Amino acid sequence: ANTSSRATARGGRYARTLHERGAQSYSDENRLPVDPKTRQPLPPRSQPGYYAGFSTLSQQEFWDEATRSVVRARVEQVPPIRYFSAEEVRLMQAICDRLLPQDDRDDAHKILVVNYIDDRLYNRRIDGYRFEDMPEDQEAHRLGLQAIEAIAQHMFHSSFIQLEPLEQDQVLQSIHDCKPPAGHDIWQKMSVMHYWLLIMQDVLDAYYAHPYAWDEIGFGGPAYPRGYMRLEGGKPEPWEVHEQRYEWAAPPSSLSGEYSPVGGEGEHKQQTPGQEGTH
Amino acid sequence: MNKSAINQAPTGKFNGSKNGDHMLGPIQKIDVPMRRFGSDEEVDFCIVGVGSAGGVLLQRLARAGFRVVGIEAGPFWNTERDWVSDEAGSSKLYWNELRVTGGEDPITLGANNSGRGVGGGSVHWAGFTPRFHPSDFRVYSQDGVGVDWPIAYEDLKPYYELLEKEIPVAGPAYYPWGDPHGYTYGPHPMGGVGDVLIKGCTKLGIRVSAGGPVAITSGSHADRPHCIYRGFCIQGCKVGAKQSTLVSHVPDAIRHGAEIRDNCMVARINLGKKGLVTGVTYFDPGGNERELRARVVLVCGYAIETPRLLLNSACPGFENGLANSSGTVGKYLMVQIGNVVFGRFPDPIRMYKAPPAHALTEEFYETDPRHDFARGFAIQTVGPLPIAFAKQMMVAKGAWGWGMRRVMMDYNHWAALGVLGEILPWEDNRVELADDTDRHGLRVAKITFRLHDNDKKIARFGTDKTTEVLYAAGAEEVVHEARYAHLVGGARMGRDPRISVTDSFGRTHDIRNLFICDGSLLPTQGSANPGLTIQALAARTADYLISEGENALTGRPGTVSRPPVRQNLSPRGTSGRGVPRIK
Repeated sequence: ANTSSRATARGGRYARTLHERGAQSYSDENRLPVDPKTRQPLPPRSQPGYYAGFSTLSQQEFWDEATRSVVRARVEQVPPIRYFSAEEVRLMQAICDRLLPQDDRDDAHKILVVNYIDDRLYNRRIDGYRFEDMPEDQEAHRLGLQAIEAIAQHMFHSSFIQLEPLEQDQVLQSIHDCKPPAGHDIWQKMSVMHYWLLIMQDVLDAYYAHPYAWDEIGFGGPAYPRGYMRLEGGKPEPWEVHEQRYEWAAPPSSLSGEYSPVGGEGEHKQQTPGQEGTH
Repeated sequence: MNKSAINQAPTGKFNGSKNGDHMLGPIQKIDVPMRRFGSDEEVDFCIVGVGSAGGVLLQRLARAGFRVVGIEAGPFWNTERDWVSDEAGSSKLYWNELRVTGGEDPITLGANNSGRGVGGGSVHWAGFTPRFHPSDFRVYSQDGVGVDWPIAYEDLKPYYELLEKEIPVAGPAYYPWGDPHGYTYGPHPMGGVGDVLIKGCTKLGIRVSAGGPVAITSGSHADRPHCIYRGFCIQGCKVGAKQSTLVSHVPDAIRHGAEIRDNCMVARINLGKKGLVTGVTYFDPGGNERELRARVVLVCGYAIETPRLLLNSACPGFENGLANSSGTVGKYLMVQIGNVVFGRFPDPIRMYKAPPAHALTEEFYETDPRHDFARGFAIQTVGPLPIAFAKQMMVAKGAWGWGMRRVMMDYNHWAALGVLGEILPWEDNRVELADDTDRHGLRVAKITFRLHDNDKKIARFGTDKTTEVLYAAGAEEVVHEARYAHLVGGARMGRDPRISVTDSFGRTHDIRNLFICDGSLLPTQGSANPGLTIQALAARTADYLISEGENALTGRPGTVSRPPVRQNLSPRGTSGRGVPRIK
């Protein structure tokens, strides 16, 4: 078991986990988003996003019992680390901190995405299929960690977790672009693009399932049995709040603030694993 | 999420042994105990898979007095207890066991298109219920592509009308495309995405339908409450407003003596000495192998599991798969182009409200000689929830890291429209058996798929046209992701036994008491969502089986070519209701 097996959504323990993995530089100012006018770092918030004061959890008495217990368990009973080794979980944490940075969240409101990913892999839950050019998800994640470490060594002669944020982003960008400069033996065993989509979808599955993320983006959350009544014009329900936008720019030490297409062949060769139905 | 907590929750054990134990929504109950046939009893019909087609067949055959058992791989949901108003918490609704997918343009499975549990795919469909157009039944004769159906639109029309009342479908009083018709229940109010579609189409002079047709109640009917516009249609409708056969047909089936054996996985169909099937072998919830003897077996497992079961049932005389003398089982698999096009608007949309499915246009459905492709597409509203939208942005914008956080903070400013484009049936798009096995040791399905030239042209044109609509509606940025929707084909019906698996009633050409009835029968698919057509075909097959009676049960050759349309087999409280509209 790893130290983060006892981690909960409460900040103190999360901070301790970070400390134990030697990430003192985590709160460095160059990891914070900045005010685009002054270029000054914006301090971490309990709730980033444009819906200050909005809380889905505050509405839980209006949810049905089954939904309430599932969502509360997600917040209050963060699953322990059981799949990744201690070494792997440190690397995975450093990767996820760049794939979906949370430096703008205060420690008490960070979402422990690695624990949810570990839980899926430990329980061998899959999305109902595996691409022919991919190994099992468990194996894919292990291979991916090895490949990322190999790229870091190749590009910067250092372990990924020792790199500066911008360097870490360069490593990850090479996978996003499907042009990894190292780890070729591993990429013989799995598709670069499918690996990128796999690890990203796992991060997104964990983060945007969390009520803190719903509050951030202004999503109403569970709505049974109450339902919605203001369907048109983007109007908030009486218990939702209006958007209150503020300007922010990605930290100067990052690459991911810019959009560029995922590398490799596009269109129908580039579908997300684990996608839901639409219509 | 803590998925382990969900896994520990009780799911799907049918507990309706006492009146009113089993809840389907806040007010609907199954109000009688379920019949249980003895373990060595032979039944009339064994239905493998209680989904869109299986649910309708089970209900009609039970109502007609037959002894019917449905075997379902997934749970018999108690929706109040088992379903949640939560995206991640709904993953158990899908066929999540392993399949292998490949080919040049591989299709995704699981949550995208594969249900599991009583109600099947109808539990997680968005609920669009357009009819197929008359042209869909004669695609080859008319457009020189694909293949003709062994039946015409007119053969299915009475069943469309029946099912539209049984579901019931809400829609406009006049629907102009295909065979123009009206709906007996009124349309839904618009959500933000519907407003975008209507605004954009109107500006471009494209006709558009508002508020349906969808399988969602716009008013309360008996024990089916009306929609509350919460937007979780794809996560299973806890309200009971969106139809699944679980809420529309299964309660009536149970009342008329049908049995459903849930959490039971059929391993193979058994062939007897006379060239007729004798029933199925299945794994019960404890993993024990059991046999159910039946006079007729109906395979209703949908486009992947139906071919898989037939292939896994290979036996002496059918070395390449049961009922597969044509070599067609598993071939001509289809999905539809399901590209989603996203527009960002200056003002908030909040697309999570209202059912994802609530407005569409079929203006581009038919072959247009001005285009460089045959057939066409529809444009429909979709309303992805946050997790789905984030995954879409990962591809549509290449977003990750801070860029992902940023676009997600703008979630409420985006509207999403779906292209639904016709992909033609190609022999090389297919289901086979993989070397991998499932927890029962059964070989899993391997799917191979590639897009052909005509398919790619439809995808491109449809995406471009939808982009125009979004800009016309006032979008300031438009991006798209390529994807597929729905599954059909894989055991197609046809007149010629050399190139099809069944006749138009789903009776296999090779084995007279083995039927297939689900989406895998479809020879082509149009650009209409297939759910209504699958249910209508099931009602037609039920009428056929009831008309044949002893002939069907004893495996004698059929004598009926046009069974009468039985109007008295609808579930309780659904016939004779609704406002008469233009036919």
